[in-house]
Amino acid sequence: MDDQGCPRCKTTKYRNPSLKLMVNVCGHTLCENCVEMLFVRGSGNCVQCDTPLRKCNFRVQLFEDPTVDKEVEIRKKVLKIYNKKDFDFASLREYNDYLEQVEDIVYNLTNNVDVENTKLRMEQYQRENRDLIQRNKATLTREQEELEELLLMEQQGNEQRRLELLQEEQRQLQTKRKNKQALLDELEQSQVPATILLAKHKVRAAQLETQIEQQKQTVKPTTLFSTGIHLRQTVSLLPVPKIEEVLYHYKPLHVETYGPPVPELEQLSRVGYLNHVRAAMPQDTAGGYTSALACHRAIQDAFSGLFPLKG
Amino acid sequence: MFHNSSQRKYWIFRSEDELENMRRSANQKFRNKILDSGKSAVSESMFLERHEEDVLFKHYERRLLDFCNAFKPVMPKSVVGTAMMYFRRFYLSNSIMEYHPRIIMLTCAYLSCKVDEFNVSCTQFVGNLLQETPAGQERVLEQILEFELLLIQQLNFHLVVHNPYRPMEGLLIDLKTRYPMLESPESLRRSADDFLTQASMTDAGLLFPPSQIALTAIVNSASRAGLHMESYLTECLGLKEDISKMYDSMRRMKTLLKKYELPKLEEVNSYKPKLERIHAEFGTASNKRKRGYEDDGHVAKEPRLVEEEWTDEDLV
Repeated sequence: MDDQGCPRCKTTKYRNPSLKLMVNVCGHTLCENCVEMLFVRGSGNCVQCDTPLRKCNFRVQLFEDPTVDKEVEIRKKVLKIYNKKDFDFASLREYNDYLEQVEDIVYNLTNNVDVENTKLRMEQYQRENRDLIQRNKATLTREQEELEELLLMEQQGNEQRRLELLQEEQRQLQTKRKNKQALLDELEQSQVPATILLAKHKVRAAQLETQIEQQKQTVKPTTLFSTGIHLRQTVSLLPVPKIEEVLYHYKPLHVETYGPPVPELEQLSRVGYLNHVRAAMPQDTAGGYTSALACHRAIQDAFSGLFPLKG
Repeated sequence: MFHNSSQRKYWIFRSEDELENMRRSANQKFRNKILDSGKSAVSESMFLERHEEDVLFKHYERRLLDFCNAFKPVMPKSVVGTAMMYFRRFYLSNSIMEYHPRIIMLTCAYLSCKVDEFNVSCTQFVGNLLQETPAGQERVLEQILEFELLLIQQLNFHLVVHNPYRPMEGLLIDLKTRYPMLESPESLRRSADDFLTQASMTDAGLLFPPSQIALTAIVNSASRAGLHMESYLTECLGLKEDISKMYDSMRRMKTLLKKYELPKLEEVNSYKPKLERIHAEFGTASNKRKRGYEDDGHVAKEPRLVEEEWTDEDLV
């Protein structure tokens, strides 16, 4: 990372933390200052590969490896032309071949392999498929527009709800204030003892509070989900079709030994086999040896293939 | 376990005739190779006939057994059995005229020490060739190492050999546990051991599973002692309708053993010069192979010493 620098003025990120590296279509880096200096007139040649470049095509380098930047740029350009979708093809195979072709072109252009021919191929493709490209571009933009519209609608809805809330609060404040004013007026003018008036006022205030609470609770629920799906809609809830498959049945492993069955390792001592083999010395057992192992192996060997061959 | 081994799959043959056919075709293959090479002064009479081959094979097998038995430190029986089996398997598809059994037998023993985890170093191994000078031992070692890869390849990389020795132990344990009618199973051991040793010098190991050989050894030993074990076979081992087949196999095994006869010394002595002559004459053809495996793309191993021919008398 720290030896990343401009190949021309040799400034590195270490020496100039605000260094901005730029990449152009050829995939070679230059720092911002050098770009300003060399491309004052808007165009010029690359210092490293002499490709004619334009100043407006310089981008800030996003990846450590400038060739990745170059590839991203090329891919964007190629995909503008090769914009078929999977439903434009009869089979998955064809679609995959098409994708492969696109990858080939991107690779060739990125790594400077056979550039002329690849460009010719691209042009030919563009000429042959002009209509389709246009149509796909149109659908793409239409999709984009729809998405934006949806976003806009949601934004508007949010704004409206905010305004309503604000108005409501204001109204409540007003009624509260009116209520207080009324109390003062009554206290001033009425003959009724003040305590009764105060009690009445308290009841009215409480009523008001409950009213507000109720209103708050009955806030109109939103009908639109953030993804644009209408809420409270009867979505068809048909059960997902079940795929019936034959269940896997475990079959214990059977090894054909062409001989009599061999007793299990654990049974050897019970049947009394181990009385007839040399007992394991304590030092033998250190490595995990038991006399049963040797005994088992001998019996396995003795029984394996013992029966005469059939036929 | 034997039941899913390469031995059961590839190295158990149906009949003696099949084995004989394989050996005959190996013999023929070598003849054709030499005849096709277009060398002058080649006559059919120079080659070893099949029965001559057999005599020499038995002779060298005997030598292998003696070498293994005299080996210091003492070689476990399974190592010996494995070496014998390698030797037998190797000459199923190769003629002794092509590869000299003198060196192949040592290579078999050397390889079997490795495979059966009988840990001896190679210098220790050739140190058992008592008649050799240290330089001669070094020379033999070079040759063993040269032939080792060839041997492994000819064994088709099936290196695990199931010998009848452990099955016999298992059967004895089983007899003691489940068949108390037999009074002293240990007394059967000696003659059963002899049976297995003899069986290792026959084709039994290529025709029968090791457990059957072991069972035959025990049953045979018991019947010699006048004991009968039918009820063990039928009740404990559960041989019901197969029992007649089992007896048939046992009979075949016994005749195999009976048929075995030690190679006669005069025969060996008369065929040996023939073998030596073939190797001297056509040695260059096989030497190329011996020297390394460049043609096959194997790693070539340059011999450090100039190879001098050594004779059997060096070995004993």
